[in-house]
Amino acid sequence: MDVLLNEDEAMLRSTTREFLDAECPPSLVRKMEQDAKGYPDSLWRKIAELGWQGMALPEKYGGLDLPLVQLGLILDEVGRAVAPLPLHSTVVAALTIARDGSEAQRAAILPDVVKGQTILTWAFTEQDPRLLPETIHTQAIADGKDFVINGTKLFVDNFVAADRCLVVCRTAPASSDNAGLSLFLVDAKSPGISHTPLVTLAKDKQSEVVFRDVRIPGSNLIGELNQAAPIVERMLDRATALLCAQMLGATRKDAEMAIEYAKYREAFGQPIGAFQSIQHICADMIIWIDGGSLLTYEALWKMDQDLPASVEVSQAKAFCNEKCEAVVRFSQIIHGGIGFMMELDLHLWFRRVSAWTMRLGTTYEHRARIARALLDFPGRVVLGRPVPVVPEA
Amino acid sequence: MDFGYTPGQEALRREVRAFIAEHITPEVMAEMDGHNEGLLGVTLGTSRGPAVRELFRKIYERGWTGISYPKEYGGQGSDRLSQYIVEEEFARANVAIGLTGTGAPAILAAGTEEQKRHYVPRLISGEFRFAQGFTEPRGGADLASLQCRAVRDGDEYVINGQKMYTSGAHYCTHIYLMARTDPDAPKHKGISVFVFPMDTPGITVRPLWTIQNDPKAPTRTTYGQSRTNETFFDDVRVPKTALLGKENEGWTVGTLGLNLDRVGAARYLISVLRDEDIINWVKENRLGGYSPADNPAIRDKIAELWIEAQVCRLMTMRSMSIVERGGHFSYEGSAEKVWAPEHGVKTSEAITQMLGPYAQLLNGSPRAVEKGIFAHNLMGSFQSGINHGSTQVMRDQVARRGLGLPRGKKG
Repeated sequence: MDVLLNEDEAMLRSTTREFLDAECPPSLVRKMEQDAKGYPDSLWRKIAELGWQGMALPEKYGGLDLPLVQLGLILDEVGRAVAPLPLHSTVVAALTIARDGSEAQRAAILPDVVKGQTILTWAFTEQDPRLLPETIHTQAIADGKDFVINGTKLFVDNFVAADRCLVVCRTAPASSDNAGLSLFLVDAKSPGISHTPLVTLAKDKQSEVVFRDVRIPGSNLIGELNQAAPIVERMLDRATALLCAQMLGATRKDAEMAIEYAKYREAFGQPIGAFQSIQHICADMIIWIDGGSLLTYEALWKMDQDLPASVEVSQAKAFCNEKCEAVVRFSQIIHGGIGFMMELDLHLWFRRVSAWTMRLGTTYEHRARIARALLDFPGRVVLGRPVPVVPEA
Repeated sequence: MDFGYTPGQEALRREVRAFIAEHITPEVMAEMDGHNEGLLGVTLGTSRGPAVRELFRKIYERGWTGISYPKEYGGQGSDRLSQYIVEEEFARANVAIGLTGTGAPAILAAGTEEQKRHYVPRLISGEFRFAQGFTEPRGGADLASLQCRAVRDGDEYVINGQKMYTSGAHYCTHIYLMARTDPDAPKHKGISVFVFPMDTPGITVRPLWTIQNDPKAPTRTTYGQSRTNETFFDDVRVPKTALLGKENEGWTVGTLGLNLDRVGAARYLISVLRDEDIINWVKENRLGGYSPADNPAIRDKIAELWIEAQVCRLMTMRSMSIVERGGHFSYEGSAEKVWAPEHGVKTSEAITQMLGPYAQLLNGSPRAVEKGIFAHNLMGSFQSGINHGSTQVMRDQVARRGLGLPRGKKG
C-alpha cells in the first residue's frame, strides 16, 4: 500500500505535462473547436512517437504493456491540457480488442493503433441513454458468412475522425443465459453508414450514426455471438475510469487557475484569496479533486490486478460527476464576470468538464449500481473489503 | 501507486481476526458496556474489570500495542500499516485500542534518549497513559493563544493555569501539557511542552459531563464518552526534565504530535462505521412491513454516503503512505480531518431521515434500534469535527499551507 505516485509514475506525469505545455496551448484547443476533424495530425503523430496510444497495449503489437494506472496518468494530463486528441476513444476500443478480440483481429488493428495510423471509437448508446443492455436495439442479423447491421447510435465520440468503430448490437432477445448482445468491429467508411455531427457543450466531436443495411464479414465479431455483455461492461468500465482521470486532470488545472487568480485579484483592499470565504472554497475544491483521484486510481489499479472493479468505477464516476462540476462552477464564481467572457480561456475547461460529467453514466445511474451491490445481496458489508460483484443486469 | 496489502499484512489481519474471535468474549463486552474511553481507559480507569485487563495483557503480549514503534523502546519495529490493520480489526470488534495517542509519537520525535526510554515502553505496556492538556477556557481552535504559564525556577518549572477537555485526566497517569514559557515572544514562539505525573501536588481535576452521559452511549458510538474534565494547575512544580523538546519550541512539538495522531484507523473509522451499520441494518430489518432498503431515495443516499466513506478510507491510506515515506505533510492530514468528520455528521443526519422517529430512541428505550446508537451518534459525530483541530481551522491550513493563499488582514 502506497497510494502516492512512485518514481516512474511521477516521471511519466512530469514529462507528459512538459510535452503538452509546449505542444498544446489553449490557442490550439480553440482552433480545433472550429476544425472539422477536431484534432491536429501532427500532434497525434507526436504522441504516437511517445507511445501513448500503445501505452497499455501488448508488446507483441508494439505497445508498452504498462498498467492502466499509467495510461490514466496520461489521460489525466490530456485532460489538464484539454488536448484535442481522439485518444480516449481510441485506447478504450483498442484495449477491448487487445483483451477480447481474436489473434487475427489484434494483429490487424493494434500495430496501426500504436503507430498512430488508426483512430478508433465505440458505439453503445441509443435513444435511451442508460448504460444497460436492454437499451440496445440496433440489430445485426446473420446473412451467410456476413452480418447486416441496422440501427442508430448516439453520442459516438470522434466518429468523424475514426477509421474503425466497435458497435454493440442486438443479435438475440435477452434470455436467462445472456443479454443477446454482440460486439462488431466495423469499418467507419462502410457503405450504408451515415453520420451527423452533434453540437455539444464541449465543442468536441460526437455524432449520431445511422447504420442502414451495413454488411460486415462474420470475422469481425469480437468474442462469441450473443456473449458481448460482459465484454461491453468491461469496456465501459475502463472507459469510465479513464474518463474520470481525464476529468480530474482538467478539473485540477481549472481549480489551479482560480486559486492563482485569487492570489492577485484584489477587492476591499486585499487579495480575494485572503478572505476565508474564498479560502475555504479553495480548500474544498482541492479536497474533492484529491478524493476523486484516489477513487479513480484505486479503480484503475484494481483492473490492473484483474480484480472486480465495477463498484469502484461507479464510485469514482458518481463522485467526479458531482465534485468536478462543483469545482469548475466555483472556479467560475471566483473569477467573477471575467470568467463569463469568451476571451478568458477558463471556459475551455468549464465546458469540457461539465460535458464529461454527463457521459458514461450519470451520478444516479452509478449510485444505483452501487446500491444494488450493497443492498441486494446477502452478507454483511464492510468498508475496505470487496462488496458483491454486480452481475450483468 | 499500490492500493493493496502485502501477504504479510494479510496474514497479520487473519491472525488478529482469529484472536478477536477467541478473546473478545461476552464478559469483555459486558465490562466495556457504558465505558467508551477505549481499551486502556477501561483498563486503567473507569471499569478495571478482570476480563478487560486480561484481554489487554494478551494484546500486549502479542506486541500489538506498539507494533510500529522501534524495538529499542519496546515496540515491534514494524510498519505503520500493520499498526493500522491491528487498530482497524479491533475497532470493528468494538474494542478501541488506539493506545499511545498523541504522546508517544511526539516523544519519539522530540524527546531525549532518557525520555524515550522512560515513557515509550510504558505507554506501550499500558502502565502509563497521557491526558492531553492543550485547550483552555479562552481558546481551543486558536491553540497558540494559550495562557497557562510555566516559569523557570532553578531546576524546576512552576506551572499555573487551567486546561479544558482534559479527557481521561481522572484516570491517566500523566499530563502532556502545553504552557507558555515566554509571554513576550510572538504567540507561537513562547510555548513549551511538558510531561509529568498527574499526582504532582497542585493539580485538581473537575469533571465535565457530556451530552452523551445520560443514558450512557452504547459501545461503538462516535465519541461516546460521558465525561471529560477541566484541570487546574496551582503552583505545580515539575523538574526541568519534564520539558519535552526545547524551551519555547513547544508549538512544533505539539502540532507534530497532533498531526501524527490524526493518522490512523481510529480517527477515520469513527466517521465511517455508521455507514456500514445502517447498510447492514436496512439489509436485515424491516419497520412493520416497510423495507427502507427498497426506497429509491434511501438507496441513492446510501450509495452517496458509501462513496464518501471510501474517500475517508483512501485519505487515511494517503496519510499512511506519507508517514511511511517520512511524514512530510503539506495539507493532506488537514484535508483528511475536514473530510472524514464532516462525512460522519452527514451520515448521522441522513440516518435520522431513513429511520424517522425510531432514530430518536436512546439506549435503554423500548423500541430502540441497535441500543439507540444512531441517536447517540447524532450527538457525538460533530464532536470529531471539533476536537483535535476544527474543520474550519483545518480548511485554513489546507488553503494557506497547501495552496499558498495569503493570510487576511486583521479585522
